[in-house]
Amino acid sequence: MAEAVFMPRLGQSVESCIITRWEKKKGDIVEEGDVLFCYETDKASFDEIAKVSGILLEFFYEEGDEVPVLANVAVIGKAGESVDAFRSSSPTTSAVELSAADSVNVNPLETSQHDASVETPSDEKIRISPRARCIAQAKGISIQGLHGSGPNGRIIVRDVESAGLNAPKAEPAVLIVPKAEPEAIKTVKAEQNVSTPAFAPIISNDDFVETPLSNMRKLIAKGMHASLQNSAQLTHHTSADARKLLELRASYKVRAEKGEIPNITLNDLVCYATVRALEKMPAINSHFLGDRTKTFKKVHLGIAVDTDRGLMVPVIRNADDLKLKALATQMKAMAENCRKGNVDPELLRSENASFTISNLGAYGIELFTPVINLPQSGILGVNTITYRPADIGNGIIAFIPVIGLSLTYDHRALDGAPASAFLKEIRNQIENLSNDLV
Amino acid sequence: MPKSLFIDPTEARKKGEISFGKIPVNQYSKTIEQEKKIYSKDDFLRIYRDMVMIREFETMLNLIKTAGEYQGIPYNHPGPAHLSMGQEAAAVGMAYTLSVDDYIFGSHRSHGEILAKGLSAIHQLDEKALMNIMKVHFNGETLQVVEKGFKGDAKELATDFLLYGTLAEIFARKTGFNKGLGGSMHAFFTPFGVYPNNAIVGGSGDISVGAALFKKVNSKPGIVVANIGDASMACGPVWEGISFATMDQFRTLWEDPYRGGLPIIFNFMNNQYGMGGQTRGETMGYDMLARVGAGVNPEMMHAERVDGYNPLAVIDAFRRKKKILEEKKGPVLLDTLTYRFTGHSPSDASSYRSREEIDAWEKQDSLLTYSADLIRSGIAKKEEIEAVKLVVVDSIVKALKKAIDDSVSPRMDLVAYPETIGEMIFSNGSIDKMEDRTPDALMTMEENPRVQQLKKKERFGLDKDGKPHSKLKTYQLKDGLFEAIIDRFYKDPTLVAYGEENRDWGGAFAVYRGLTEALPYHRLFNSPIAEGAIVGTAIGYGMAGGRVIAEIMYCDFLGRCGDEVFNQLPKWQAMSGNIIKMPVVIRVSVGSKYGAQHSQDWTSLVAHIPGLKVAFPATPYDAKGLMNSALQGTDPVIFFESQRIYDVAELFHEGGVPEGYYEIPFGEPDIKRKGEDITILSIGATLYRALEAADILKEKYGMTAEVIDARSLVPFNYDIVIESVKKTGRIVLTSDANSRGSFLKEMAHTISELAFDDLDAPPVVVGSRNWIVPAHELEDHFFPQAEWILDAIDQKIVPLKGHISGTDFGDASIKMRNKKGI
Repeated sequence: MAEAVFMPRLGQSVESCIITRWEKKKGDIVEEGDVLFCYETDKASFDEIAKVSGILLEFFYEEGDEVPVLANVAVIGKAGESVDAFRSSSPTTSAVELSAADSVNVNPLETSQHDASVETPSDEKIRISPRARCIAQAKGISIQGLHGSGPNGRIIVRDVESAGLNAPKAEPAVLIVPKAEPEAIKTVKAEQNVSTPAFAPIISNDDFVETPLSNMRKLIAKGMHASLQNSAQLTHHTSADARKLLELRASYKVRAEKGEIPNITLNDLVCYATVRALEKMPAINSHFLGDRTKTFKKVHLGIAVDTDRGLMVPVIRNADDLKLKALATQMKAMAENCRKGNVDPELLRSENASFTISNLGAYGIELFTPVINLPQSGILGVNTITYRPADIGNGIIAFIPVIGLSLTYDHRALDGAPASAFLKEIRNQIENLSNDLV
Repeated sequence: MPKSLFIDPTEARKKGEISFGKIPVNQYSKTIEQEKKIYSKDDFLRIYRDMVMIREFETMLNLIKTAGEYQGIPYNHPGPAHLSMGQEAAAVGMAYTLSVDDYIFGSHRSHGEILAKGLSAIHQLDEKALMNIMKVHFNGETLQVVEKGFKGDAKELATDFLLYGTLAEIFARKTGFNKGLGGSMHAFFTPFGVYPNNAIVGGSGDISVGAALFKKVNSKPGIVVANIGDASMACGPVWEGISFATMDQFRTLWEDPYRGGLPIIFNFMNNQYGMGGQTRGETMGYDMLARVGAGVNPEMMHAERVDGYNPLAVIDAFRRKKKILEEKKGPVLLDTLTYRFTGHSPSDASSYRSREEIDAWEKQDSLLTYSADLIRSGIAKKEEIEAVKLVVVDSIVKALKKAIDDSVSPRMDLVAYPETIGEMIFSNGSIDKMEDRTPDALMTMEENPRVQQLKKKERFGLDKDGKPHSKLKTYQLKDGLFEAIIDRFYKDPTLVAYGEENRDWGGAFAVYRGLTEALPYHRLFNSPIAEGAIVGTAIGYGMAGGRVIAEIMYCDFLGRCGDEVFNQLPKWQAMSGNIIKMPVVIRVSVGSKYGAQHSQDWTSLVAHIPGLKVAFPATPYDAKGLMNSALQGTDPVIFFESQRIYDVAELFHEGGVPEGYYEIPFGEPDIKRKGEDITILSIGATLYRALEAADILKEKYGMTAEVIDARSLVPFNYDIVIESVKKTGRIVLTSDANSRGSFLKEMAHTISELAFDDLDAPPVVVGSRNWIVPAHELEDHFFPQAEWILDAIDQKIVPLKGHISGTDFGDASIKMRNKKGI
């Protein structure tokens, strides 16, 4: 009798997985223990091992397909056995809504609602010793996807320990893109002697290229979407006289070139000024938590950093304690760590920052609406410097440099007036930066 | 096999015949007129009073069981009541001549004997002694109930005490003679010479012999009477007890003043039925039970049938038989003929006998005929006879009312004190000697040749370079046992040791070599090949107050003393309400090389039974220390030894086995080798295979194993094992016991419970196969080998790189074997 191969359920929160690669083709002989296909969740990659021997009679999903957990992925049986039964009856599905109903599924899934409780516990799929489980829990190592080297594939302590060397923290956060994750996957993969699955573009038509999302992309997408869906955010724009800013920058540059001080950028100065504003008006230095707000006594400043992998927002803890030089040094180091990919994942959790600054000035952006990293209440967008006519005194109108400031705030957390007052305070701080900061 | 007794072939092969003498049957023929010379009117009436007391006591119980009330007092007694109505004359006659120092042992049907012996003792004891006995018993707890509202003298008070203590015991009251833990079939009261009654048919048959042995060995006054039923004549313990009691050596080999027969009367209370089986004519072949005595020894056990329906005939017989015992010509077999009117128990409708038969015996009821004789011979008037019953009924009503009153006779409160019974299972005493006097010995301990020889031995197995000493020069495990045992012989004068080939041979495995020279016969002797009696007599010896080491030569022979080991030895401390101590050590040797019936490790069987301490040392240091603990304690110990390792040297204890006295407490496992990666827990000789496995693990797989020797099974402190498992996360358990139902499984389960979250794999048991033990040449396929331990680790715990398994511990095998029952 042929047997179905189901997409494993890897924990309560996982609703679907993406098949990254098929290791077997239709008609291949499969031995129990062979890798059938590789798949990934938003956190890690796994191999699905054949639990029975036979011939891979049929598979219902292609590489790149997102498959609801517990969906029937393939059928293994004897040559000539019919797979119709597997084709027609869909297995119990979890409440997954497929993003594309018309995807290339051979066997479109029912997405009916009769499913709420799913019988098969994930523990049946993951054999792990109590000790290994305890250690994994204590160290925050996800047991999903761990290769079990014990009897009957049981995950035993040594498996957790070797995975624990570089493993990601088990806890994900909305916008956290743990840098360590790709490497961890590589580590696990390397141990399994399976090469990293390639996210090969699927060319389905000459006109376009479809690319499966990277896990990071998915996380960003999820986070951003959730932010816009779940808050009442809007953006106020203003600009500040940038003459002082530019003056300081120019003098610092000279001194930096002489090696007297580290390089201090415009962004560093804006961040420094913003921290001062946050100190003065802490209402927005807060998290909105539905039934309450959490206002921070310290400023933990999130800095949006663009990396090859995508957007990362590391946090500078206690930024209000830092003098300008220290702030500049730390921000530079943090950005480098992000780009190199060795930042502590804890520093990427949006819960760990109290306010975020995103600077697109370098790209010549004059105005934008940054998206809040929930549960924070606000985010400051910093724009490019433009010139604008202004009364510079004595009735003289002249072009002066101004820097655009875009404050997005969550209207659930605070109203327009205090938000505007806060933005004005930032402008104040920028325009009145002291000469002896360094 | 004493050399002093020459077996002359010429003599042995001579033609001849065995002739038997005559066995008297109901020969008593004195008239009451003749008896007046011996008995006063008070005596005659007291005999009657005692019979009426028993009858009324049991009538009361019968009515409570069948009608739910007595004299208008309602009560429900769900427990047993095996009544002896009809047998009163036999009980009272038996007890009449016995002194307080004489002990009686009984059966499930012994209420009458308890009361008869108790009343006899009360009659003999002075008031001061009686008050003292009652005040001391459970600190007067029983007495307080009886004293409430009592008016009268100390003897009357003691009579009330006897009735109440017995009844409260039957009704499972805390104020009963044994705190309600004995009950109807086991009640007893040692200060009156009433020793345990036994719910196992013939159970007293060998235990009572041990009490007689105690009296003889320790020169105690008094005799022992085993009151057992006619049907028990078929039981092994009874035959074995008789065999033990009639050993020739008591007369041929034992030295004065110990020479002579054992002071015991096997008194068969012959009511002619064993439950529903009629012993004469149906289930036995002796025609008359007394005939059996003829075959046992040349004295024919002084066997006699006596008319148990006539109290005076029974008294006469006991008086004559007691004299025989005092002349050291025992033991004696009495066939005391009687009849019970009621069924085996209240649920027995007596379907196996006719109404006509019961009527016929009731017509000759001893109460009727004896009282009629008293009236006829002018000893008592009718009114006096009738008055006896009124007084008795009054006493019994009083006792019943108090015994069923929860406010004065509560049961044990197991809700408030849930561990009460648990705490009574062991006495956990620590006593150097059971009596204080100079132990009998033939030389000083220092003069003993083996003691001298041991002084020259290397007490640690390896020299300073880590090389083993030669075997002959090395102190071995059996030497450790010897040192502990000989030490105790010189400390405790009551200590005796016996079993098969204990003397001269020095025990089949030379543990006792050197003891024969040191000890007189009465402290070390060879028993008949009768394991039931070896253990049964040891129980009686311990019960009576002595310390004893009994030896079972091969573990496989434990089956031969199953009742003694499972039902008697473990139970009596708690069933007595902790009045009795049981300082009995049973040495059990686990064999090998000798196939299916001489090589089994049955530790699991005894560890299963509550009330036994179980030890199994594997090193000389542990053997000596644990034997010292066993012999210092007051609890029954099954002490396992392995024939495979009697000659091992001490390899673990720094400095070797100490020359002086030391104890290793029961229940403390010992880490024999430290390790980090896996724990191996072993029981007994398998320790050495575990160490072998640990060596291979280290050499081949770079894993260090922590090897723990259980040393004892009951009690067992899991702390050390759990601590180890918390460290290693893995554990294999191994012993020579076959794996199904092995105690290792109990341990594995307990470890799983206690350390579940610390386990990286289930605890795995590596035991012997569930087969017969094959010949020595095939034993390696039966007993756990070092390689098996590795196989189990590889297959069940953590795969060992490159390991090739020779044995299959896979799930499929486990299922298949269980399915097949192998």
